[in-house]
Amino acid sequence: MSTPALHASNLSVPGRLEAVTLDLGPGELVAMVGPNGAGKSTLIQALAGLLPAHGTIQWNGQPLSHIAAAERGRRLAWVGQEAHFEFAFPVREVVAQGRYAWGDDPSGVAEALAEVDLGFLADRPVTRLSGGERHRVALARALATQAPIQLWDEPVAQLDVRHALEVMRLARRLADGGGTVVVSLHDLRAAYRFDRVLVLDRGRLVGDGPPHGVLTADLIREVFRVEATFVESLVPELPGA
Amino acid sequence: MKPRLAVPILVALLALAFLASLAFGELRLSFGQVVSALMGGGDDIARTVVRDFRLPRALVGMAAGAALGASGVVMQAFFRNPLASPGLLGVSSGGALGAVAVLALAPATGFAAATLWALPAASVVGAFGATGAVLMLAQRGAGTERLLLSGVALNALLGAGTSFLLTTTAGHFEVNAQILFWLMGGLESRSWEHVWMGVPAILVGCLLLLPLGRAMDLLSLGEQSAQSLGVDVRRLRRQLIVLSTVLTALATAVGGIIGFVGLVVPHMLRLAFGPDHRRLLPYSMLGGAAFLLACDLVTRTFPIGLRLGVVTALVGGPFFLWLLRRPR
Repeated sequence: MSTPALHASNLSVPGRLEAVTLDLGPGELVAMVGPNGAGKSTLIQALAGLLPAHGTIQWNGQPLSHIAAAERGRRLAWVGQEAHFEFAFPVREVVAQGRYAWGDDPSGVAEALAEVDLGFLADRPVTRLSGGERHRVALARALATQAPIQLWDEPVAQLDVRHALEVMRLARRLADGGGTVVVSLHDLRAAYRFDRVLVLDRGRLVGDGPPHGVLTADLIREVFRVEATFVESLVPELPGA
Repeated sequence: MKPRLAVPILVALLALAFLASLAFGELRLSFGQVVSALMGGGDDIARTVVRDFRLPRALVGMAAGAALGASGVVMQAFFRNPLASPGLLGVSSGGALGAVAVLALAPATGFAAATLWALPAASVVGAFGATGAVLMLAQRGAGTERLLLSGVALNALLGAGTSFLLTTTAGHFEVNAQILFWLMGGLESRSWEHVWMGVPAILVGCLLLLPLGRAMDLLSLGEQSAQSLGVDVRRLRRQLIVLSTVLTALATAVGGIIGFVGLVVPHMLRLAFGPDHRRLLPYSMLGGAAFLLACDLVTRTFPIGLRLGVVTALVGGPFFLWLLRRPR
């Protein structure tokens, strides 16, 4: 197997994450699910190097501690669960911040705005957007980095159905282009559309594999305390990707 | 407003305030007399007034205003809060307490009278002591919120110390008057010594801040996002705290506690020209310098005992309230 894009072994954050080990390859589209407080955001932040954590993290086989700040910005993009902006930068400027690690070379900013359907809001102060629009700004900023590893923490929770589907298609397209895309979600139906699903429960990785192999009735009952027939019955209602 | 108008407008305002500072006062001079006095011509009295009294006062005022304007921008980006100000971490309170402590001991020791440098030096020591304490208190994790709350606690503590010293020296009118200078700020009797103490270091601090503007843009929208986009956030935060502290400490050392400049000036300029820190930093330096000189002119024009810190607060307070009432 080629060098994994993201490797973690025995990754722990006291009280929040316990000994998570995983390898994510290039071209993989990965869903991360789990109940509230299971550690999804913590794992994503730890993988992105944004949280002090015990254990080993490697990006493309290189220990994270050996990668300088700017180089990290070129290799991995993170979209947080919260998208609050305190200062009234125009949308275009916020997205252009994705180019910081590239010496503020502006290429790809307009395309990133278009990808999340924000072109028409480019000049609007970011403080005057709705919650869902702000999340799309954060996504566009991550896209503008053109980083091959993209970690998105609940990117669609606040989006309307059309934009949510577009974001899912975008994730698929990035993975098909060789990127490693991790998306945390609450919608188990959507998780069936991913190549691979990670299930977290109380800080542990309790499931890892293709969706139909992992999201079994037993696991769903165990982790989410929901009868799985509910989930299965909804799967066919998904619109085509 | 168009950003390219900013520099001409601010430079013009600053030049006007600067010339007015040199021309106005008990001896009213024309701009022509001011210019010829600066060049070494004109009559002796005008030359002495301009070069030995008003010029150092104006230079100290500009430097202190620039330092406070820049420091305000830094604190607002650092705390991601447009209402943060240079004194937030206790730097100015510490500076004032340092100077006041020396003054309170002065009747016994005669120390403060002995050297011109004693008070500014004590003020710088107090300011750095305060910042050191905040950084130590907040070191574990050094979360922004924790730092902010530590600053609140420290400000209260240092203010209490100053009030205590003020009451213990109540009998000494001379000392009390001097203490009030530190608490309400002022530029009177600033000499060339004060210029050398404050201005070059403030200039260096401002120049060191300017290249950090772009990274501050990213920091101002979130620490984690800035880190993920390639900013070395830990290092940037350290640089910002040190530079902002030094600038505030120096401004306090030469001018006492001058409130609201660091809050109002960056805020007005952000509203007018946008939040881009590469521009906001130099604009706030120019704007802070012009604003402080203008406020100093007011204290001189109406000699009814107005202190500089009182004037900046009289202008700044209502503005602050207006900001709070504005829909965000």
